[in-house]
Amino acid sequence: MSTSLRNYLLDKAPFLTACVMLVAILATYASLQRGVFSIDELNLVTGSAMTLILVATGQTIVILRGGIDLSVGGMVSLGTVIAATQFGTDPVNIVLWSSAILLLGFLIGAANGVMINSLQLQPFLVTLATWSVLSGVAMIILPTDGGSVPDWWIGFGYSELLGLAGPVWMMIALIGFWFWFKSTRLGTTIRATGSSEKSAFLSGVSIMRVDIAAYGLSGFFAAAGALYLTTQTGGGSPIIGKDYILPSVAAAVIGGVSLFGGRGGLMGTVVGAFILILIGSLVFALRISSHWQPVLSGMILLVAVLTSSLTEKTAKGQAQ
Amino acid sequence: MDLIEVSGLTKRYGGIVALEQASFSARAGEVHALIGENGAGKSTFIQILAGAVAHDGGDVLFDGAHYNPANPDDAETTGVTAVFQELSLIPDLTVEENIWFRREPRRWWGAADRRELRRKTLDLFEKYEFPPIQADRDVRRLTLAEQQIVEIAKGLAKSTRVLILDEATSALPAKETEWLLKLTRKLAEEGLLVIFISHRMGEVRSIADRMTIFRNGSTVATHVTDEVSDDEIVAQMIGRQMDRLYPERHDTTTGRIALKVSNLECGSRLRGVGFELREGEVLGVGGLQGHGHRELFQSLFGASRSTGEVELWGRAARFNSPNQALSGRDGIALVPEDRGGQGLLNSMSVRENLTLSVQRRMTWCGLVDSKREAALVREMVDLLSIKVETPEQEAGTLSGGNQQKVVFGKMLLTEARVLLLYDPTRGVDVGTKSEIFQLMRDLAAQGYAILFHSSDMPELVHVCDRVMVLRAGHVAALLDRSAISEEAILRAAVLEKDT
Repeated sequence: MSTSLRNYLLDKAPFLTACVMLVAILATYASLQRGVFSIDELNLVTGSAMTLILVATGQTIVILRGGIDLSVGGMVSLGTVIAATQFGTDPVNIVLWSSAILLLGFLIGAANGVMINSLQLQPFLVTLATWSVLSGVAMIILPTDGGSVPDWWIGFGYSELLGLAGPVWMMIALIGFWFWFKSTRLGTTIRATGSSEKSAFLSGVSIMRVDIAAYGLSGFFAAAGALYLTTQTGGGSPIIGKDYILPSVAAAVIGGVSLFGGRGGLMGTVVGAFILILIGSLVFALRISSHWQPVLSGMILLVAVLTSSLTEKTAKGQAQ
Repeated sequence: MDLIEVSGLTKRYGGIVALEQASFSARAGEVHALIGENGAGKSTFIQILAGAVAHDGGDVLFDGAHYNPANPDDAETTGVTAVFQELSLIPDLTVEENIWFRREPRRWWGAADRRELRRKTLDLFEKYEFPPIQADRDVRRLTLAEQQIVEIAKGLAKSTRVLILDEATSALPAKETEWLLKLTRKLAEEGLLVIFISHRMGEVRSIADRMTIFRNGSTVATHVTDEVSDDEIVAQMIGRQMDRLYPERHDTTTGRIALKVSNLECGSRLRGVGFELREGEVLGVGGLQGHGHRELFQSLFGASRSTGEVELWGRAARFNSPNQALSGRDGIALVPEDRGGQGLLNSMSVRENLTLSVQRRMTWCGLVDSKREAALVREMVDLLSIKVETPEQEAGTLSGGNQQKVVFGKMLLTEARVLLLYDPTRGVDVGTKSEIFQLMRDLAAQGYAILFHSSDMPELVHVCDRVMVLRAGHVAALLDRSAISEEAILRAAVLEKDT
């Protein structure tokens, strides 16, 4: 094998492993159920994966920075309850409130970034605290599942353009955004800071700005996930957000994003999110207890972590 | 008119003076070398020039105007670029992304212009005849030498009038070193001022027009390279007085070999080290920082992976972990360099610290024999005269010297008779230093064998029976009692010829 091909495979090994796992899951699923490789199935699966993909997009940006954002859970809950209680039926009102929720997400995330940076606190602890605060506020606004959004809002998931459903177009747009974003100045400095904060600082990067942007974007995407989630559930829930905290981290890690920062990308995260969602379908198709779902997810996570650790070791041994 | 003129430059960190009344002057078109021991003030000096550190006193003139950059960016705008020994590269970005980091050519929609980026990188490589490096590889995949070359490329990518190279050759193989030296000359001929820091006298002689010598945080003299001898330079680098801090040395070495090491290798930092340490001997390990001392100590203690043969008291012994190394009378004990981080648990009591490594000596069926423990602790507190109110006092509340004594006590309790002391007097007051030296000699007289590294050269000269000098992971010289002097150590450490 030529050196450059070998290097390429080593660099991409975690992502490629995720792709192989996705293909394996799809193949198994297809052998049990008809119609897996159809546009309808793509629309359906993407529709159920989209909330996770959106939340995990923000999480990916924060992880690339070398941090972690647990507050996305609180933000998702808060976003759905605000939407479900304030939307009403007036489209103008809905557009305004949607924008407000997205802005709120960004501001709360930015506040996380400011606290982590200026007080030199652990991202884990700061975002754990904001998660708790946001969940509490969501509970105060709407103590139990409820509220409502208009029917046309719920219809988004079923809307179609050229045969592809709204969520699929959203995912395409998101991937397009990513290919632009990662090579912008901001995208590069976020990755660089996650890779080596000291080197980035020495090269003149303002770490404060990087933190505000990274956590702000995470809050923004969590809020976007909340808005999308209301199109799926048709209402608000003050507790639903916690279902997205660890899965958003897991999706990124399965897709080859390194928790040490600096390494990985959104394509991996999207693959990781699909793996997590499809495991649910697979367990259903296998007609086994749904309790097998976390067991399988955990095993896949282990495979992902082992792959990145092994490839790094191999690459290091080679460089010496 | 010189390009850079420095007078009375002073920098303090708290109470410590890093630079005092340094003066310096250099003109465009010359290669100007800075030489001096570790800690002589060279790094502080160039950090000030590069805008990484602000000075407290004195004046810097750049091209006749006052120069006081707020940060490295600011210095680069003025025309001073530094390539530091501590690399500033981003491991997960590619070579080309690193070279042009934050100055990438961009398209109107904000994305980096990859093609232009590649073109500029290849142009730069061609212009300065860089050794071949793949432009699209992630920097973390490169060897240390390659990373150093990328760092140099990053410096050259900025249009600059002063280029500072901080030990840029220390990580490079011979061929690349030759390239860099040639390049340095060429840059100077094109009108750049190159400030060149190296510990290798041969390199300095081959390219520097002039050199400025640093000692104890100040500048001593500036010479034209061709008009000064090696002897004069070494004398000016040392030039300090000896204290009455050291114990009398009696030769207590026996014929018995305590530790025999051969072909010890550890990565690229340790390349086949071999020596013998005898019972009753204090063997010093000298040389400049980053030449394999840390790796030697860590390898012997089982804290770093290494290959080679190690014999303890005549029996083969290879340790894979400190836990194995600390296995009783035939083991090895280490006083690590970083007392706070590696040697001492600040929030635990003096008693717990002392007995942490020797639980086995005082437990019976898993239970601690507290009478036995108290006796052992008492013995150490007395032997080392550790000043504590009670052994239950938190270790973090002790003075630096007393903390170091606790670390010594912890090591002695392991009963190992081969001791590795890595810079045990760093950050310790003079009184305790003197006690530590006395203790070392006493232990040697009792039959302990001691391997001793110090970053302070006079300590090696006045405490050791023999001194081994490491350079680039090799034993550059092994000096007998009669041959030990600062001059001899420094010569072996900086001059390319083995003495």
